[in-house]
Amino acid sequence: MKRVAIVGVGHGKFGVRSDASLRELTFEAVKACLDDAGVSLKEVESMVTGIAGDEFSIALQPSAQVHDYIGFHPKPNFRVEGACATGSMALRTGWMNVASGLADLVLVVGGEKMTEVPTSVATDIMGRGGDATWEYPFGTTFPGYYAMIANAHMAEYGTTEEQMALVAVKNHYYGSLNPFAHMQKKIDLEKALTSFTVAHPLKLFDCSLITDGAAAVLLASEERAKGISKKPVWMVGLALGTDTMRITERESLTSIMASREAAKVAYKMAGIGPADIDVATVHDCFTIAEIVAYEDLGFCEKGEGGKLIEAKETYVSGKIPVNVDGGLKSKGHPLGATGVSMAIEITKQLRGEAGERQVKNAEIGLSHNVGGTGQVVAIHIFRRE
Amino acid sequence: MEFKNFAIAISQTKVARFADDLAAGKIMSTICKKCGKRYYPPRSDCSSCMTSEMEWKPMSGEGKLVTFTKVHVPPEHFALRQPLMPFSSVLFEPCPIGILEAEEGLRIMGWMPKIDLKRIKIGMKMKASPQILPDGKVTIVLEPI
Repeated sequence: MKRVAIVGVGHGKFGVRSDASLRELTFEAVKACLDDAGVSLKEVESMVTGIAGDEFSIALQPSAQVHDYIGFHPKPNFRVEGACATGSMALRTGWMNVASGLADLVLVVGGEKMTEVPTSVATDIMGRGGDATWEYPFGTTFPGYYAMIANAHMAEYGTTEEQMALVAVKNHYYGSLNPFAHMQKKIDLEKALTSFTVAHPLKLFDCSLITDGAAAVLLASEERAKGISKKPVWMVGLALGTDTMRITERESLTSIMASREAAKVAYKMAGIGPADIDVATVHDCFTIAEIVAYEDLGFCEKGEGGKLIEAKETYVSGKIPVNVDGGLKSKGHPLGATGVSMAIEITKQLRGEAGERQVKNAEIGLSHNVGGTGQVVAIHIFRRE
Repeated sequence: MEFKNFAIAISQTKVARFADDLAAGKIMSTICKKCGKRYYPPRSDCSSCMTSEMEWKPMSGEGKLVTFTKVHVPPEHFALRQPLMPFSSVLFEPCPIGILEAEEGLRIMGWMPKIDLKRIKIGMKMKASPQILPDGKVTIVLEPI
């Protein structure tokens, strides 16, 4: 198996991008990525596109719009889908392409255009990311699913609404420092706690944003990476975990078991443990999801996630900085782009290019991306030389 | 009865009688004749031993609440005035939903129309029952016992 490095990154502006279509959004990211790598598209051998929903893009094969618009034809383009984990699954597919020796230079693009449809329709589409046959008839929504996880976590471990709100305060603080973030606005605890209820006990500021955006990375084999990047970031641990379609059949309602499974495999492959991670991007689609991720990834003991944020240990200055790019919470969550955006943040951190948000001497980073209500989880571990 | 009267989106499935059973007052599970694994929601195929010889068995529906929520921002289907969200008032007060752990650890999702959010406690004893809605659709409700 070949070693695989990220040699270029390109992040489009996330937000309500009423000015642009899906293909135009991805063009911004691809252009920035190729510029960053100093590579022309002609040199790229293959591409992988992560777009979660045909329903959002109102088209049957949105990935063809993307390869057509950047002028990639007639070379191969694969589309990958795994709800909110789509971007990380695309990255993993790109890694497989290079690791297997099939191609030496592969472009991975993630994008989603979510605001073309009304919010109620977007809520509907995402709600059917749970079991559309057996759970949706009870009016389940994405906030609804995570609200059920939150209530179970609160009952079992005494996690509080304040602790959840503190995740929002942190992520908005870092989002305010990220020029690509959807909501570059700091919030205080009171604002988070007094916002309206979306699904009890989750309030508006516990929820990530419905966002348009795209992100792209360029992957290279070791031989090819040498001529491109002075600061390659290596993908050294990858894992994909899965779990039941229905939340009702989960072994735990306070953990995402697919995260636990994937974390074990990824740490083993990288030959490290959770204490070795210098910086992480985790799937904070809701504030409770970030707290659960702390626990599932081993950054703290089970049930201690609320205390970890209370002690500010996940700030840049803390024991394990998490989502210091603003997270899905304030950077926004364009489904297909999210996983790729997570990898970009880690790459920038490991290259030492994160500016005000830089974690000092970061050497090893982790991204954690949950699809749906935990049906699929992709974890990647990155390392600089 | 069409399965869509329960599932909203689809009608074509091998377990379509589930909706008829609800209308007849029963919440049904299936059991694999070969390995004995029991499924709720019901399945026509056993993923434990990969056979398709299943039999139907009613759930008692009694158990304890393992979690709940109340969705204030509903998906489009439930946000439209027609059909109305089950159990919502004219002024749109959404109804809590919950997950009940019933016999053999099988869990049933249902609406909780008869209990105020403040009175809901994880661990409380409840019973799941079928409910026929005014528009003829069928669903499941959870009530304290």
